[in-house]
Amino acid sequence: MMDTALAPPVTRPLRRRLALRLPEGWQALLGALIVLGLIPILFRMDPARFKPFFYDIQASGTLAERPFTGEWWWAWRFLANGLGTTVLVALLSILLSLPLATVFALLRLSAPLPLRIPAVLLIEGIRALPVLLFIWFTFRFLARQGVELAVMWPVVIALTLYTTVVNAETLRAGILALPTGQMEAARSLGMSYFQAMGYVILPQTFRHMLPPLIAQFVTLLKDTSLGYIVGLRELTRHAEILYQGQRNPMETIYVVALIYFILNYLLGQLALWVHRRLD
Amino acid sequence: MAPENWRLLLEGLRLTLWLSLTSIAISLVIGTLIGVLRVSPIAPLRVVATGYVELFRDIPLLIVLFFIFLGLPKAGLRFDPIQSAVVGLSVYTAAFVAEVVRAGLQAIHYGQIEAARALGLTYIQMMRYVLLPQVFRNVVPPLGTVFIALVKNTSVASAISVPEVMLQAETIEGRTFNPYSFLIAGLLYLVLTVPLSALVNAAEQRLRTHRAT
Repeated sequence: MMDTALAPPVTRPLRRRLALRLPEGWQALLGALIVLGLIPILFRMDPARFKPFFYDIQASGTLAERPFTGEWWWAWRFLANGLGTTVLVALLSILLSLPLATVFALLRLSAPLPLRIPAVLLIEGIRALPVLLFIWFTFRFLARQGVELAVMWPVVIALTLYTTVVNAETLRAGILALPTGQMEAARSLGMSYFQAMGYVILPQTFRHMLPPLIAQFVTLLKDTSLGYIVGLRELTRHAEILYQGQRNPMETIYVVALIYFILNYLLGQLALWVHRRLD
Repeated sequence: MAPENWRLLLEGLRLTLWLSLTSIAISLVIGTLIGVLRVSPIAPLRVVATGYVELFRDIPLLIVLFFIFLGLPKAGLRFDPIQSAVVGLSVYTAAFVAEVVRAGLQAIHYGQIEAARALGLTYIQMMRYVLLPQVFRNVVPPLGTVFIALVKNTSVASAISVPEVMLQAETIEGRTFNPYSFLIAGLLYLVLTVPLSALVNAAEQRLRTHRAT
């Protein structure tokens, strides 16, 4: 779509004067950059407070947790470390969720009633609850059971659980969207139900559902920030360590928001690109 | 669970409900405005509104709350935790409301716009009297989904020490060493989200039969 304006034909001349021939994705980027550019002006951010991101921070003292290098990119490297954990947790969760989601989608679609009812209840129940609740519960439950795991794992388990039910619904919609002739043809060729699913239905479903799965990955990347609350050292936590040392919360949070924005914007565009290629 | 802990949880529930309702009201106003700007014939307004939506869809709510609660005091804007949560949840959810409103506006038949303009209504009058009333009827189900997400998102406010259900559950767990307090908090969230999604389903059903006849 070139342009989303709801302009009635009677205002065409006016519209032509104000028209902006930019594809939707570029419009969104331009607009977001304008909004992001207005924020420092609106809240009168002091350029000097961005110091750790652009200058040597030797003068302002060290942060206790790491050997201090004194290079200007120190803060960026520290944030990149955090971002690495963020991406790792999100990747692990989505990869673990895919096989589970397939099982749940099939249970909901075609399992006998005694299996289908618990699957439906689980899917609907988990979707009706906040992700943070699962993160807290998994984290504390494992700790109280005396299971010693890095804090990353309870977060991965909780996010996997949540992503599983969301993806299960996506896959279910994808399977239902295929023409029924596909299943009938596969079965009449003598394939069993599972062969038909594995060789005919699911490969097509995953292909068609790639864009929503990428969109879910964006949600997941945002949700990993909740790991901060139980002490996961991801991007948000690293930002906190930085601004506690530098006493510049507004500027550091702004920079981190920019990082999340760039990453998720690119992923969103990737999803759109895949979607267009599939059509 | 001790009655004292039940009292804490119910107090939390009241605050969660209050946060949800206030943020629903504010995000509905901001979101409708952004949604209307999103299809405005004036390109700069449309671009900024599109950017607003993109921005808040790509940034975690936690970061938005931290910016408001920890960042803005440096600019002289001091909010207490509950006010920060309402502001953060509202501007964040407004982006999602705007997308729903935009989709609703674009789904309206072109003839409606032509007819309204032919009658001499201005753009604003057309929005106010012709388009938006129809949009709000059609978008009840997707808006409901956005508001269910909002109710769940109020839990993030616990990170800036708003004593809603999630924070109360954390307090109780810290005191009793019983992680099941989180599951009881979960039941309280279900009390809010399940009726809401039942309403969404009913609205969807009504719309479907309405369109069919």
